[in-house]
Amino acid sequence: MSPLLQVERLNKRFGGLQAVKDVSFVLNAGSITGVLGPNGAGKTTVFNLLTGFIAFDTGDVRLDGRPLAGLSPYRIVNRGLARTFQLARPFLGMSVLENVEVACLAPRVRRAGHPRARARGWLDLVGLGDKAELLADVLPYGDLRRLEIARALATRPSLLLLDEPFAGLGAGEIEPLAGLIRKLHRSEGLTILIIEHKLREFMQLVETVIAMDFGEIIAIDGPSAIVRHPRVIEAYLGKGELIARTTNDHATGARNGAA
Amino acid sequence: MRLVRADWLAACLAAIVLAGVPWLFGSGYILGVMTVALCFGIWAASWDFMSGLTGRENFGHSLFIGAGAYTAGFLNVNFGVNPWWSLIAAPLVAILFGLAAGFPTLRLRGPYFALAMLSSAAVMQNLTIIFSRYTGGQDGLNGLEPMLDSTLAYYYLTLFFLVVTTVGLKLVANSSWGTILRAIRGDEASCQAAGINVTFYKIASLVISAACAGLGGALYAHYQLQVGPDLFAVILSINIIIMVYVGGIGTIYGPVGGAVLLNVLTESLRVFSEYRLWVYTLLLIFILFFAPQGLIAPAWRRIRRVLP
Repeated sequence: MSPLLQVERLNKRFGGLQAVKDVSFVLNAGSITGVLGPNGAGKTTVFNLLTGFIAFDTGDVRLDGRPLAGLSPYRIVNRGLARTFQLARPFLGMSVLENVEVACLAPRVRRAGHPRARARGWLDLVGLGDKAELLADVLPYGDLRRLEIARALATRPSLLLLDEPFAGLGAGEIEPLAGLIRKLHRSEGLTILIIEHKLREFMQLVETVIAMDFGEIIAIDGPSAIVRHPRVIEAYLGKGELIARTTNDHATGARNGAA
Repeated sequence: MRLVRADWLAACLAAIVLAGVPWLFGSGYILGVMTVALCFGIWAASWDFMSGLTGRENFGHSLFIGAGAYTAGFLNVNFGVNPWWSLIAAPLVAILFGLAAGFPTLRLRGPYFALAMLSSAAVMQNLTIIFSRYTGGQDGLNGLEPMLDSTLAYYYLTLFFLVVTTVGLKLVANSSWGTILRAIRGDEASCQAAGINVTFYKIASLVISAACAGLGGALYAHYQLQVGPDLFAVILSINIIIMVYVGGIGTIYGPVGGAVLLNVLTESLRVFSEYRLWVYTLLLIFILFFAPQGLIAPAWRRIRRVLP
């Protein structure tokens, strides 16, 4: 497999705080990877650095071998790296369909024609087809997440970054959304990078986990191995409930693997 | 948001009514009031195109109006150029002003754009007084030539440009371009994440808005046959914003209706003589309190729902 995204020694300092320190990793095309870490570990900052919303101090990011340093966010999207936000940010006052239509007008996909029809297709894919004419303002939180994903997909990314897609969702909404992400990965062949806290669903979804703490990568490993990594346990130490849950998840994961 | 046949019919009807005004009310006085009202219509529609759609309130629209009007004045009075050239030169100069104002200010967030535009217009107003040797100072430039000898013909020329700018801006506003501008109003970061070059669209729409305002400024100048520093005044921008809100923001046609309505209202309130401003202000407060979405656009939406 060829590396789709290469991140090398990424650094970002906010005043006295080293928010991201020497972060390096590689994502292969077609992979699905998670970023794990306690609050304030620098996960979202890494996303903001990769997508150009915040400029990094030093380091190198390459998508398909082309450097992304210094590009503004919309240019990076048009190179094929799309994202969703942790807090869904719809275009208020516009219909769900129009929300996605905007992304169909990005230069990268503009020439594909019929933005409205394409937007409808993306809404069908994420399961919002029957809500196309509603105002985005009235959508419940779970649907807003799907809308965010549809809008990102509409730019036809080669790499999709999902910032805590499960945060704030009810128990009944998590599994269908995880199913959607799995479908995007398996049937659409999309390369995906996810930040998440909700360990259970997350661990079943990803192939590789990048664990972060205090702005640094502390381990990169498979989902079952990462939870036994001493530095990961240390980062979560004191959160006994979490560790108990992950071991539990590990058991479920193994069962699924056997089946 | 698609323009349907009813919209076109209503637009034709409105244009016919405006075209019939000189025949219904023969007086030159009313013709003058209506010519000015049509200029305000162009200014309100052009303000709405940029600010109404993207939500970046421009408190210095008079910058472009004054730039257009003074361009007409300079060319005609100082250089003796044929007045018709103003119709090309004024929008071009206004575009330059739009670029000069847009590049540094549209990158700013929050109220800075509004404040920067407001102060640019105020600065230009003072510059016309400082460089009074060229601009005529407080008296402005006098003795512009009329484009057409007949004021009736000039009314129709102004009406023609109002129709062209309104229809043109409305078509663009209803196209994918308009969708993007409304998305910018919604959330700039999301727009970036959707791969849209937000800065480009904001500057381009300001430039289009400026060009139309400049054209309106030139038309106004050749109607008044005089240009003065008041054309850069902040109160002019604010009056236009009020017209937009009374008509219905973000709809292009609503602000045109609002402009005509408020100009006619101002004139018809002359019977109240010194209490005129009181009555006018009270009426405005009532309108904006009871119809915060404006009058014209919501009314038309309601009518259209009833139509087959």
